[in-house]
Amino acid sequence: MTAQTMTEPAPPPAKPRRPLLQSRVSGVLLVLALLVLWDLSARFWVDSTSWPTVTAVLAALFSGSADLFAAFTSTISLMLKGFVLGALLGVAGGIAIGLSPFLRRAFTPLLEFLRPLPVPGIVPPLILLLGIDDAMKITVVAFSTFFPVLINAAQGVRMVDPVLIDMARTFRHSRLRSMWQLTLPAALPYVFSGLRISLALALIVTVVAEMIAGGTGIGYYLMTMQYAMQPDRMYAGVVLLAATGYALNWLLLLAERRLLHWYSPG
Amino acid sequence: MLKRAAPLAGIGAGIAIPIALLAALEVAVGMGAVNRALVPAPSAVWTELVAIISRGKLWAPLGDTLSLMFTAYICASVLAVIVGVIMGRSRAAYNLLEPLVEVIRPLPKPALLPPLILFLGIGNEMKLVIVGLAVFFPVLINTIQGVRGVDPVLVDMARTFGYGPGRIATRIVLPAALPFIFTGLRISLGLGLILVVVAEMLAGTGGIGYLIVDMQRSFRVTSMYAWLFILAALGFALNFAFEWLERRLLFWSRQQEKGG
Repeated sequence: MTAQTMTEPAPPPAKPRRPLLQSRVSGVLLVLALLVLWDLSARFWVDSTSWPTVTAVLAALFSGSADLFAAFTSTISLMLKGFVLGALLGVAGGIAIGLSPFLRRAFTPLLEFLRPLPVPGIVPPLILLLGIDDAMKITVVAFSTFFPVLINAAQGVRMVDPVLIDMARTFRHSRLRSMWQLTLPAALPYVFSGLRISLALALIVTVVAEMIAGGTGIGYYLMTMQYAMQPDRMYAGVVLLAATGYALNWLLLLAERRLLHWYSPG
Repeated sequence: MLKRAAPLAGIGAGIAIPIALLAALEVAVGMGAVNRALVPAPSAVWTELVAIISRGKLWAPLGDTLSLMFTAYICASVLAVIVGVIMGRSRAAYNLLEPLVEVIRPLPKPALLPPLILFLGIGNEMKLVIVGLAVFFPVLINTIQGVRGVDPVLVDMARTFGYGPGRIATRIVLPAALPFIFTGLRISLGLGLILVVVAEMLAGTGGIGYLIVDMQRSFRVTSMYAWLFILAALGFALNFAFEWLERRLLFWSRQQEKGG
């Protein structure tokens, strides 16, 4: 399982370098046409409480509904806490099993059994153990973040050029120093591809945990608005989540470009 | 001799660690160090697991979960590969559909559950659609990427030999894009399983996800852990089967894989 193949690659850039908008005119028009169709259908043809107009959704989004904003910040903060916790553990574990063949063999059976476990499955037991609040949600997110980061970090550590390590030893660098200056930078691109997989997963899992356990957050908000038959506010939540997913991926790509400007894949 | 012994020690530890963890838990529960109502002894979970299987209670929920997973996974993957090949081969189709894909793709798919419940209810259609949506996009994105990476010389040569567009797509483009398609399929397998379990938990009347939540709500903790174990085994088995299939079908592309 290579680090590259585990990422969801962004679509390749258009080959003839035309301005983005110009080449995608038809596509942008299609999206707009669908939105107009939605709005008109809700206005004139479909008489249903579950089909609000686009303008109603946008109004619900921008009219600054306080609970939506509170739910959103709660979701983001839990997600980031779980993500950071899982990522740190994943990097530490990945370096350990990447450096030591013994540890790798020793933990492979356990990890290989837990890794494919569909994460929502652990939410009910964790509700019993930790309740429905922050601790449970952070744990679930950390659990889901851990595995992709671990596997990619371990892979990255093993890709370090052994000649570099030998040379560092020749120059009497301590093991700690060669780890900090050689192993970690070499593993970084792999760690990042693990982080990108995990970040998308972390948002999904946070929403899922909120939906199953309730209590706080945007997942819970969506469920509540669905039961309460307030579809405009429900769709506003969906739109906000889509924007969040988009922004998170973009931010991580930006950080990657900043930190890994020296690295060209392939 | 030492070099032989080292891997064996690691493999031995690999077997010993899970056993030791379970034994420690068993002892802790036996001594009353953990609340038995919340954490049952592993032996009790095992007994329950055997009871579930021997009384034939396993098959109906397992069948529900698997049929949902497979139907949605296969339909959505086939559709995604077809759309992906079209978007990869035709610039007009790509320009038309790419913005729409980029609008829907970053959305965490579980967020679509509440709207879908409004439209389709809590029945099977809703679950098939939500799982299918989760599966569709990774396969689509990777197929486009794979199709665009096909060596144009191959396509030109096929054209020279009189292949039509249909034959070029199935004989040249699809095999060359297969490693990428499988990458998408692997991501989708994990995502699809997550959505299957979530959909069953939130809108279920059967299936493994529903049972886990149901057992938790009725405080039948031992049963809950038994079903969780079944879910883990299912995830493991599907992942294993997938990797086996991938090795079988992609044996020829091993050496092309970059980055180890």
